[in-house]
Amino acid sequence: MRIRLVLAMVVIGTLLGPQMSSRAATAADTLVYVNDISDMISLDPAVAYEFSGILAATNIYDTLVAFEGEDLTTLKPRLATSWFIRDSGSRWSVTLKLRPGVKFSTGRPVTAKAVAFSFDRVIALNKSPAFLFKEVAGMNEGDTIPVGTDTVVVSLPKTASPQAFLSVLTFTVAAIVDPDEVMAHQVGTDRGEAWLRNHSAGTGPYTLDRWDPESRVVLVANPNYWGPKPNLPRVIISHVPESSTQKFLLESGDADIAADLSPEQARDLATKPNVTTQKGKLLQLVYIGMNAKLPPLDNPKVREAIRASIDYDGIIRNLLRGEAKKVQTIVPDGLFGYNPSAPFQQNIAQAKQLLREAGKGDGFSIELLVPTGPAPGGVKWADLGAKVQSDLAQAGIKVEIKETAQAQLLNVYRAQKGQMVMILWGPDFPDPDGNATPFADYEAHSLAWRNQYSDADASKLAKQAALEPDLMKRQALYRQLTEKVLHEGPYVILYQPLKRFGLRANVSGFVWNPMAFAEFRTVSK
Amino acid sequence: MSRYVLTRIASTGLVLVGVSVLTFFIAHVVPADPVLAALGQHAREDQIQAYRHAYGLDQPVVVQYVQYMRRLAGGDLGLSIRTRRPVASDLAEFLPATVELGSTAWLIALLLGIPAGILSAIYKDRLADHLVRIAALAGAAMPVFWLGLLLLGSLYYRLHWLPGPGRLDLSIVPPPPRTGVLLIDSLVAADGPAFANALRHLVLPGLTLGLFSTAVIARMTRSAMLEVLNQEYIRTARAKGLTRLRVLMHHALRNAMIPTLTVIGISFGNLLSGAVLTETVFAWPGLGRYATASAVSLDFPAVMGVTLVVAVFYTLANLVVDLLYARVDPRIRYE
Repeated sequence: MRIRLVLAMVVIGTLLGPQMSSRAATAADTLVYVNDISDMISLDPAVAYEFSGILAATNIYDTLVAFEGEDLTTLKPRLATSWFIRDSGSRWSVTLKLRPGVKFSTGRPVTAKAVAFSFDRVIALNKSPAFLFKEVAGMNEGDTIPVGTDTVVVSLPKTASPQAFLSVLTFTVAAIVDPDEVMAHQVGTDRGEAWLRNHSAGTGPYTLDRWDPESRVVLVANPNYWGPKPNLPRVIISHVPESSTQKFLLESGDADIAADLSPEQARDLATKPNVTTQKGKLLQLVYIGMNAKLPPLDNPKVREAIRASIDYDGIIRNLLRGEAKKVQTIVPDGLFGYNPSAPFQQNIAQAKQLLREAGKGDGFSIELLVPTGPAPGGVKWADLGAKVQSDLAQAGIKVEIKETAQAQLLNVYRAQKGQMVMILWGPDFPDPDGNATPFADYEAHSLAWRNQYSDADASKLAKQAALEPDLMKRQALYRQLTEKVLHEGPYVILYQPLKRFGLRANVSGFVWNPMAFAEFRTVSK
Repeated sequence: MSRYVLTRIASTGLVLVGVSVLTFFIAHVVPADPVLAALGQHAREDQIQAYRHAYGLDQPVVVQYVQYMRRLAGGDLGLSIRTRRPVASDLAEFLPATVELGSTAWLIALLLGIPAGILSAIYKDRLADHLVRIAALAGAAMPVFWLGLLLLGSLYYRLHWLPGPGRLDLSIVPPPPRTGVLLIDSLVAADGPAFANALRHLVLPGLTLGLFSTAVIARMTRSAMLEVLNQEYIRTARAKGLTRLRVLMHHALRNAMIPTLTVIGISFGNLLSGAVLTETVFAWPGLGRYATASAVSLDFPAVMGVTLVVAVFYTLANLVVDLLYARVDPRIRYE
């Protein structure tokens, strides 16, 4: 009996004794970032192609060039200090000069050979992000040639866009890894892939201390980092899938930044002391695709009437509580080539007139496929569908909503069998070509193809703009293309969503990159 | 007895084959494409075909099943489409957290449910009985997700009595993984702070997950006890002059445990397989969330792996319960 009593006291003491630790704020030298990281499958930059994996890898590895902060239009030097594109007749040559004196976290120097190794490794491993090198840039193993120790020349086919290639270079797939360290851990022919999944060998401001799957990633400052030391030497990316729990942690001071707040939670936090909220741009576009070969959608006037029937401002104001931007062209705000033209707002008289001109004055019935679950910006897809249904009804268009799981919806969409499909698109790399080609070029077998929008001029413009190395000319080509697709294309672009973060009031320097990551080195508290 | 156990274990194999057939074919009649779910809408047709070929998804379903079973016989659960790792490695990583949480919830259910049921039966139609019945009804009816947020909001966020989500405070370095069960690993590593912290982190999710089972066990214990307490032999035992406690514990409870044991066994299986919502609210890196993520992304090998593991736990729990019947009631014998 006595033993039981002692045991009971020990358990109760353990449970309630050190309770003050539950109150403690995060350590002064540590940033605690709470986020759903269940999609993280590898931290190897040649493999990671999921949001959370890219978030961690971005802070561990450097690329040759980078887009800094929110600006995705101006390339900044990173491990390369200068670069230029040369037309060498049958191919493009992109020459990059490396920053002198940079070391990996292992202490070994960064050389041109390391760059060639890293790029060839991506192509050889052929994991999810490899298509950025292989398909977008048209690269093969051996196309990255070291010249001396501090220069690399990348040879690209004339079918690839050199500007898009430079944009790809900003992405984690193009991170430089330490060849000696990686190959020292090679198993079979895996080029160190199994080891690099949960270890690091980069030059970034942080190194990987530990990754406990579905639990936490701990980053510590890289002692050999070439740039200014990070303000906070330790970062914990903590796995918290539920946004209400994230909010509890933030308000309690157990987290410094909460990444997945709903618009309602963000509004509630705005009234609380010691916390602030911050918006982050995303490059996604939520849109409706209209099958341009199926009557009556094959008539451009009908498509224009549909665009004129929708209350875009109401969707953003009432459904999304302002957590989105009104964007109506196919290149999102934040990317080079963005066209801010947004001529559409609900105008039922104009819509009816257009329908009359198209011979559909009595209206028509149409099916709209809508995914299940939440859409970007904190609204349900079904609610968005219902809003579009009621807007189009005012113009006499009867919409039948068919809610379908996304994987199943894609089956129909990919088979060109959708009448109208509501879905989202985000570019694979921060270049307008990541949107322009899929949306405009039928031959790319992507969105234009799925909507049976075959316009030779649009395809030609998309190709021309992608390959144009002169930025001024490229800008003009994208302007022309986006204007054309805005009125003639098979799309209703509904909005570009925003992301909402909650931050402790003492946290500063946090900047969300619209490619869906943040560089923690600039954050302080 | 040992022959009975061997026969039961062998029959477990048959159950698993049945489960595998059902799961495999149900998973394959879902009208969606796992490859599209894995590759997303950006993938091109040749990439889709290559992926389908790499995972053998271009074969007829029966061929796929035979290949799967052949690999399974060799202990290979296949590669996860979502995580691109062996399913066995994934399970080894996520199962211990669920076993730790499920066992805690189960213990909580036993320690609260059985005494509450006994009390309720002894004080039938009196205040204690009413309280237990109301609590049991509430426990059985309360949505797990809401209960979890309620407990977090009150005991962590408002009162700061217990820690928030996760298995350990972020300031605590996890002990070296040996079993994956933090309580055991921290004891093996003689890491007192980690043990205490892990234990505290178990309380809220354990309560959340265990409350439903607590309610069920309490109600089952109550009704079984009430039935036994009205039997002749209880009256005889009392007439013999045995103490009330002895009559209750040795004569009544022992007999009342037969139906309760069945519920306890089933609840153990339920707790291991039904932890999805609790794991989501408490950011618990367990099998439930792995199973959900796998199901959502149509990751057949992972879904099969989880189903088989849960089936093993269910059948083993049932076997243990059957064996315990004989311990509790000497009239039950297995030949």
